[in-house]
Amino acid sequence: MKRVWTVSVVIRSPDPVIPFISTLPNCPCIAFWLLHSELKGAKNESHLSINCRVVKDRRRRRRRRREMKFKAFLTDNGVHLLEKRFLPALDKMGRVCHLYLTRDHAIFLHNLLNGDGVQCIAQFRKEALFDDYRISSQNDDRIAFVIDLGLLHRALRSSVSISLEGPTGGSAASNRLQIKLVKKLPSNSRQPMPFLTFETKGYKSAVVQDVPISKPLSRADVMELQSALDMAQDLPQTLVQVPDLLQLQNFVDRLKHVGDLLNVSITQYGDLHLQVSTTLITVGAEFQKLRVIGVRVEAPAGDGGASAQSRTEMAKQRGEALSVQVSMKHFAKSLQCHLTKPDSAFYGIAAQGGCLTVIFQFFIPGTRQTDKSISLHCRLPVLDTGSS
Amino acid sequence: MSSSAVETDTPDLVCQLDNVQGMVDALSCVRWKRQQDAVVELSEHGVVLIVEETGCLQAKVYLKRELFLSYEYSAEGRPRFGVSLSLFVDCLNTFSVPGHLSTIEIRYPGPDMQLLLKSIDSPDACIYAEIRTRIPDTISWDYNFEPAGRTPLSFTVKSAALKEAIDDLEWPGSSIQIVVQPDPPSVTFKGEGHGDLQIDFMYYANTDLLIAFHCDRRVCYRYKYKFLRATTSNIPSSVIKDSRGSKLTIGRGGMLKVQHLVSVVRSTQHSHNDSAGYQQPSRIAYIEFYVKPEETEDPVNDS
Repeated sequence: MKRVWTVSVVIRSPDPVIPFISTLPNCPCIAFWLLHSELKGAKNESHLSINCRVVKDRRRRRRRRREMKFKAFLTDNGVHLLEKRFLPALDKMGRVCHLYLTRDHAIFLHNLLNGDGVQCIAQFRKEALFDDYRISSQNDDRIAFVIDLGLLHRALRSSVSISLEGPTGGSAASNRLQIKLVKKLPSNSRQPMPFLTFETKGYKSAVVQDVPISKPLSRADVMELQSALDMAQDLPQTLVQVPDLLQLQNFVDRLKHVGDLLNVSITQYGDLHLQVSTTLITVGAEFQKLRVIGVRVEAPAGDGGASAQSRTEMAKQRGEALSVQVSMKHFAKSLQCHLTKPDSAFYGIAAQGGCLTVIFQFFIPGTRQTDKSISLHCRLPVLDTGSS
Repeated sequence: MSSSAVETDTPDLVCQLDNVQGMVDALSCVRWKRQQDAVVELSEHGVVLIVEETGCLQAKVYLKRELFLSYEYSAEGRPRFGVSLSLFVDCLNTFSVPGHLSTIEIRYPGPDMQLLLKSIDSPDACIYAEIRTRIPDTISWDYNFEPAGRTPLSFTVKSAALKEAIDDLEWPGSSIQIVVQPDPPSVTFKGEGHGDLQIDFMYYANTDLLIAFHCDRRVCYRYKYKFLRATTSNIPSSVIKDSRGSKLTIGRGGMLKVQHLVSVVRSTQHSHNDSAGYQQPSRIAYIEFYVKPEETEDPVNDS
């Protein structure tokens, strides 16, 4: 395009145009096409018209096959977020996930297309991770592929260590970490393969690391991923805030020995009740008076003496509580998200006990305001709605 | 089982404990395999937990009432119940939060004869557990330990050294001979199997390892290695750290008694009257193992 503009400026007077254009071996046809109407009187008109057709063909082909491109620079904050917080946590959710890139967001998605595991959705607005973010694809500038988080984490870690090398740690401008989508011919293969490439320039060395990824998802698969993502955005009516995520994780780690199924009950007056039960033992934990977001009611007066189980049962009968049964393994996994260092976490049960949702909240550093550029939530499949 | 509990609705026992980890340590000490059934006996003096293996090995954990913050006993007789030791320990473990003082209440029996546990430190966060109990197996009481002769044959050895010696004897294997003799005063562990290994504790040579020694005649008995190993395999690290001693006594017929002391001290030692470094003797759980000797065709008796 640039060349075309240059030429079009030159061409104000028709006479010197032809010799000028002939000196531009790479783009004569473009220039001719642009100025076709003005050059009607030229001697080699037939030649021009042929070139012109070629150009039109090329343009058409371009429009049909808008190339898939992704290129961005990771910001320092983005590197820190991914390397120290999100990738370790997401890796625990499952080694591979979808990375879904759109014009405004980068989203890591676990188990959205294949039903039975914990669904985990980590969404970043592009400014949270990148600057100079460029993406294009024929599918509304959306690209999705499957990536191995362990490899991604490793590549990122070593890129960071390289960019930190040198006496002063390098200047910020020179050691920016570029990330882009490429197709390369791997050694011992004849088929070009897609990679996510990290390019780092350190003080003494420059390193390119290729993280293999899957073939980008087809238009239909991206559509499916997008609709699964839309469906996963439903919020439960009532959310309760977990006071201490680490303490809860500690407890669940010990509870794992007891049984595989965990009953989770959440009341609208801020009780979270977890219980594992086998033929020989019942172990539970009840957290009361938690902060409630969404639909809430006043706690009933005077059932302090009753056991946790009977209190939960009564709340369910009054329609003030929902109860679901989830896999202990899934629950423990969702708690691994504490590695992302969220500022708070909320549990809620979707309507009709469809799933157990955990939403993690991040504050803008130094404030109590939600950082809307980062969102993370998990949805745990329900094994039994607990209504029976 | 006490009938009074059912009639009056008062539980046999309601007690509170502020050092869950200490209790876990003490009970883990007698846990030598994955699935073990234990019998728990309650009395006004405290709680005794008994574990047994194939009539050759018995272990008891004594948790005196002084170990508990409060101990309300209201049964008549001595109620007993059976419980899975592994479940009980795992369950107690869920109550112990590292770096956090947790107080629990233990109650027996529940409405369905369960053992009930409940954390009581925070009003808004409560952990609870109900463990199903069984009608206890009959305990063989032929572990009655009687001293052989007039003076008891006993020695006290550093728990860490005892554990190390027994661990080392794994190599020769199946059968271990223990020889205690007055002249020179020494204790010998001898294993003969894939190879020979002899470990001597000389009383005068290592007084820091062999702390006490009482023996007026030579005795020699063989014990199965796996039973000896059970006596030290799960000694809690606190015992090693406190550099405590274990007392071994050989009784009539070669019955070996091994005693460990496990401290169930408060994790934050700021309670009344405790001067620094002084541990209340009452804050100790006593662990006892009884190991029967192997019956050998050529008996090497106490002469």
